[in-house]
Amino acid sequence: MIRSRGTAVATALLLAALATAGCGLGPGADVGSVELTATREFGSVPMLERSLEASESDTVMRLLEGAADVSTRYGGGYVQSIDGFEEAQRGGHPYDWFFYVDGVESPIGAAEYRLRGGERIWWDYRDWSATNRVPAVVGSWPAPFVRGYEGERHPVAVECEGGGAACGVAREALEAAGVSVSAGSPAGAIRLLVGPWARLRSDPAAAQVEAGPATSGVFADFERRDGGYELLGLDSGGEVARGFGPGAGLVAATRRYEGPPVWLVTGATPAAVRAAADLLDAEKLRDHYAVASEDGKETPLPLGAG
Amino acid sequence: MRSPFAYMPRFGPLQAASPAAAVAYLGALAAVAFLYSSPLVLLATGVALALAGRLAGAWGAVRAAIRIGLAIALPIVLVNALVVNRGETVLARLGEWPLFGQVDVTAEALADGAVFGLRAVVVMIAFAVYSACVDPDRVLRALRPLAGRSALTATLVSRLVPVAAADAARLRDAARLRGPGAAEVGRAPLARRLLAGSLDRAVDVAATLELRGYSLEPSPMTRAQAGGRSGPRPSPPKRRSRYERRFYLVGALVLAAAIAAKPLGADGFDAYPTVQLGFAPATVALAALIVLSGLAPLRRQPRRRRV
Repeated sequence: MIRSRGTAVATALLLAALATAGCGLGPGADVGSVELTATREFGSVPMLERSLEASESDTVMRLLEGAADVSTRYGGGYVQSIDGFEEAQRGGHPYDWFFYVDGVESPIGAAEYRLRGGERIWWDYRDWSATNRVPAVVGSWPAPFVRGYEGERHPVAVECEGGGAACGVAREALEAAGVSVSAGSPAGAIRLLVGPWARLRSDPAAAQVEAGPATSGVFADFERRDGGYELLGLDSGGEVARGFGPGAGLVAATRRYEGPPVWLVTGATPAAVRAAADLLDAEKLRDHYAVASEDGKETPLPLGAG
Repeated sequence: MRSPFAYMPRFGPLQAASPAAAVAYLGALAAVAFLYSSPLVLLATGVALALAGRLAGAWGAVRAAIRIGLAIALPIVLVNALVVNRGETVLARLGEWPLFGQVDVTAEALADGAVFGLRAVVVMIAFAVYSACVDPDRVLRALRPLAGRSALTATLVSRLVPVAAADAARLRDAARLRGPGAAEVGRAPLARRLLAGSLDRAVDVAATLELRGYSLEPSPMTRAQAGGRSGPRPSPPKRRSRYERRFYLVGALVLAAAIAAKPLGADGFDAYPTVQLGFAPATVALAALIVLSGLAPLRRQPRRRRV
């Protein structure tokens, strides 16, 4: 009698412990909808656009496998192909699938990435001859500011480095998206740097742009010319494709080491910075790695992709 | 007690066939188990092998193989379910585990593990039938011209291991005969005694081999007698079994059909993201052919003479 009671108590305690540890039967409760996008060539060719309901047990991989024809390797942890597009050498360039959660490259595999609901998952099939690491992209605006990154919310700071009116435009764009902008720049904040390149380049995260896409993941560069700077657009191989005019602005995102994402709203001149700030809009940035603004027209970067 | 997998001389087509023919036949069926993941084809292969074992008089070996195979298959299914975090049908969420991370048990991982387990059972049956029906001495004789030293080592092992098993049985019997009041004999003292006995026997065997000149290179005279080849004298040619060709043919047919049916979609099984089980005509036809191949060891009835 005492023995059976002891067993019952132990079983109850074990079940309680399992329940506390997030265990249970079935896929678990719904966590909300998740937006799933698949593109090719740095976002220039759309392949899949779905909004799916996710549950507690869903991972990025599980969501993708439910929505597309996927083949995997290495025990299902690595995506080899989506809808027939598989890792390959195309025209001498290596192509592979990469994914971003809320505009930030995931540090863990798709099979391990648990969904919390509300994420924007973007898979892109691209040439990685210039770099296999693009730590952050602008194509999921305003996701990283609204939702944070890697499953945690972070404060958001707008750092105005001589950006003038563009700083106000950037702040308004964030607030319109429901982001509460911190006063100052608290530690661990996702930063939005606004200002001419001559000022921004003194920031260590922003300065990575001048080291090329292999360091920054940004397919753009600034070249010193006539005492100022000229914005250069790079192609998918990381080579300079062309220079933009003096009024061209740039919106790009990067990360320094494993630090928070840093967004750059910049250009050679104050007018260019203002033009860049006008790009802070979901429609204009959607599915792009970085965007240059020239004469009021947005140009996705890298150039010539797709 | 004799192991169910031990070779037992019987008068059957599989036993009468050369080791190469038996290996071709059983190997082809084992190869199908590795080539295919379709549960239907794997099941058909298991049935064919069990049928072959039954017809060859090795039903005990087949039953033992199924028992051991299932004992291996169960952990495979469990480990696969815990380690593989794929599949859409989540049955249970077991939380975060050290080394494994988040563990979700999915129906797909269980099905995939079951296929791995089924494959293990099928391969176990193939080896059990081989072990019980193919004379190891004939295998070693066949290998002798290719690798003399290895054949000698294998011969010694195949002789000495059953002797050691018999020793163990005798020691256990002796321990039991001491009566119910005697202290239990632990495994370690038994293993020590067996090891000492095996070493003594190994020294005896080594001395005998040395006395018979096994450590020496063959003399030029021996080589000349062997027809210019090094190694022992070839044995006189054996009469071929009338069933020989049947096993070669069935083995080749099964393997060829399996290879040909694969591009036709006969291997219709995908575990992830959801279980897809295909029963294409090619799968059904291949499964039927494989089951029929299990009849290969069937003994031909002798023709009645008309009086």
